[in-house]
Amino acid sequence: MDIFDEIRFIARKTQNPYLKEARSAGQKIMGYLCSYVPEEILHAAGFIPYRLRTVESLGTEKGDLYYSALNCSFVRHCFDKAVRGDFDFLDGVIFFNGCDHSRRMYDNWRDLYRERQAGPGFLHMLIAPHKISQTALNRYTDELSKLVRALEESFGLKITDQKLHNSICLYNEKRSLLAQLFAMRKGEKVPLTGAESIRLVLALSAVPVEKAVSLLEKMIDACQDRNVAKPGDLRLFMAGGCMEEADHMQLIEDQGAVVVADNLCLGARSVHTPIEEDLPPVPAIARRYLTHLSCPRMVNDFYSRSHYFEETIRDFSVDAVITDKLMFCDLWGGEAFLLKSEARRLGIPILTLEREMHGGGAGQVQTRVQAFFEKIANLTQDDA
Amino acid sequence: MFYAGCDVGSLTAEAVIMEDGRLRSWAILPVGARTEESAYSVMQQALKEAGLTMDGLALICATGYGRKNIPFAQFNLSEISCHGMGAHWCDPSIRAVIDVGGQDCKAICLDRQGRAVDFVMNDKCAAGTGRSLEILARAINLGLEDLGPVSLKSRHPVRITNRCSIFMELEVLQHYYGGRKIRDIARGINHAVAKRVAFLAQSLDMAPGFALTGGVSKNAGVAKSLEKILGVRFRPLKVDPQLMGALGAAVHAGVKAGVKDS
Ligand code: SF4
Repeated sequence: MDIFDEIRFIARKTQNPYLKEARSAGQKIMGYLCSYVPEEILHAAGFIPYRLRTVESLGTEKGDLYYSALNCSFVRHCFDKAVRGDFDFLDGVIFFNGCDHSRRMYDNWRDLYRERQAGPGFLHMLIAPHKISQTALNRYTDELSKLVRALEESFGLKITDQKLHNSICLYNEKRSLLAQLFAMRKGEKVPLTGAESIRLVLALSAVPVEKAVSLLEKMIDACQDRNVAKPGDLRLFMAGGCMEEADHMQLIEDQGAVVVADNLCLGARSVHTPIEEDLPPVPAIARRYLTHLSCPRMVNDFYSRSHYFEETIRDFSVDAVITDKLMFCDLWGGEAFLLKSEARRLGIPILTLEREMHGGGAGQVQTRVQAFFEKIANLTQDDA
Repeated sequence: MFYAGCDVGSLTAEAVIMEDGRLRSWAILPVGARTEESAYSVMQQALKEAGLTMDGLALICATGYGRKNIPFAQFNLSEISCHGMGAHWCDPSIRAVIDVGGQDCKAICLDRQGRAVDFVMNDKCAAGTGRSLEILARAINLGLEDLGPVSLKSRHPVRITNRCSIFMELEVLQHYYGGRKIRDIARGINHAVAKRVAFLAQSLDMAPGFALTGGVSKNAGVAKSLEKILGVRFRPLKVDPQLMGALGAAVHAGVKAGVKDS
């Protein structure tokens, strides 16, 4: 199996052989929900951090008993899997107040556990401020210390600064390799498609970090002389929240584009900003997670996101932008609106898509995206 | 030189054959279960009409939902590009096209060459589509084709306030059982659907020179309401508006094949 097949295989499964192997060797696995939950702390506590995913979802019927149809389909699918017992192999879950829909999952899961003893008993709610400031940083640092204590008390272990330091170095290495790989998309030759990059990040968030590093090294090797861009393909920037459906991304790219950069949860957000290795670990982790490329939940940080947007469009020679949000996601709704005016200011074409997770509707997406690309071709053609 | 466009949508399939800038023949058929078969039959019909065989065609462009699955087409373009080009072929002064089809509705801005330079498409709901008109018409026991003519006789139209087609249906039924005249309800339905379409179109900066295409353009009631809400007049098209997608595809094929005045 070559590295691309291996990544594809891991990405489309809830569990994978590396997890199973680690578990049978006695290692514990800790689920988490969002790009603001520091994997370093979970790793230093001896867990394999595992990002909750909706792949292999059978629907939302069971999740809908707890959620309403007006909730985001990512959380509905995710919780549906929890109700069905797909995440029973986890030893705990760290929730996060990314948005209200995902915050609710903590309450729902506690209910689920109380009623049916389903899933792990250790459920922890991590709170991060919705703003970036010194006060917010202090608050978030306290929250992380609380998480450290909760893990220590519940599992009877000690998370030393030395362990945290080791984990920080490992995750910095993983981030830097991923950053290196993503930077390779700057050139004319684009080594991997947007769909492949989603699969990659999805896979990396479900295996032990040491394995992730070796997978990444293999990937970088395999990408050296690789070019997936076809002649005439537009270079695309994708922005959005949860997107695990590589096929959806593939469908967009198949209309005549290749994704070269993004601000996606399973994308650029996981590669930016290393953790400072010579600072006290918990405050250093807090600083990185609070100030890395932000998700629109950070209400006073649009300026940095738009700065990143502008810089990336220039550095990666981006031709067009697509924002892709899940239905009822207000955070991305607002962001898409702001990005539209940014795009107008920068003179770059932008298309706004909306979808339900695993929702199908391929025909509509295809028409919209193809027409968008045709429109760009028309706009760039000379008025003969 | 002969060239063609083939449009396989969700309800009907159309084919148009052109010869050096002139319309030679066309065909419209309801679609079957398989895109490929529908495409073949509609093309065969148009070819027969023109006295041609497939080999006689220099280039074929496909469009519509089935566009990627039409094996005899050399290339495909979105319905948006094709509807725009079709309307432009009928009248080069057209700069804005509102296409209300069975499943979706679109507003398209065109440049002087008939190329789409901006567009919007409904994604939130079906309330501005032919399908919702059909459901609403059925609620008052009218055929889709009667909705337009009947509504034009109304003098006291009912007001339908809901935006969602399911709730619209409930509102329509309420008026129906409340004894309101069919023609007044029909006018209310047309106006409500026109409002949804206009709402979408207004999000684009559309220049004067409007055309209405797609199946719903045959409903005079909707067309009239749309003109009123948007404050425009639709230019009449010299070809059946349902053919616009296939016609536009054929024109694009002509351009690609290098036909002057295609
Ligand atoms: S996509 Fe939006 S609504 Fe869904 S979890 Fe993310 S931020 Fe929340």
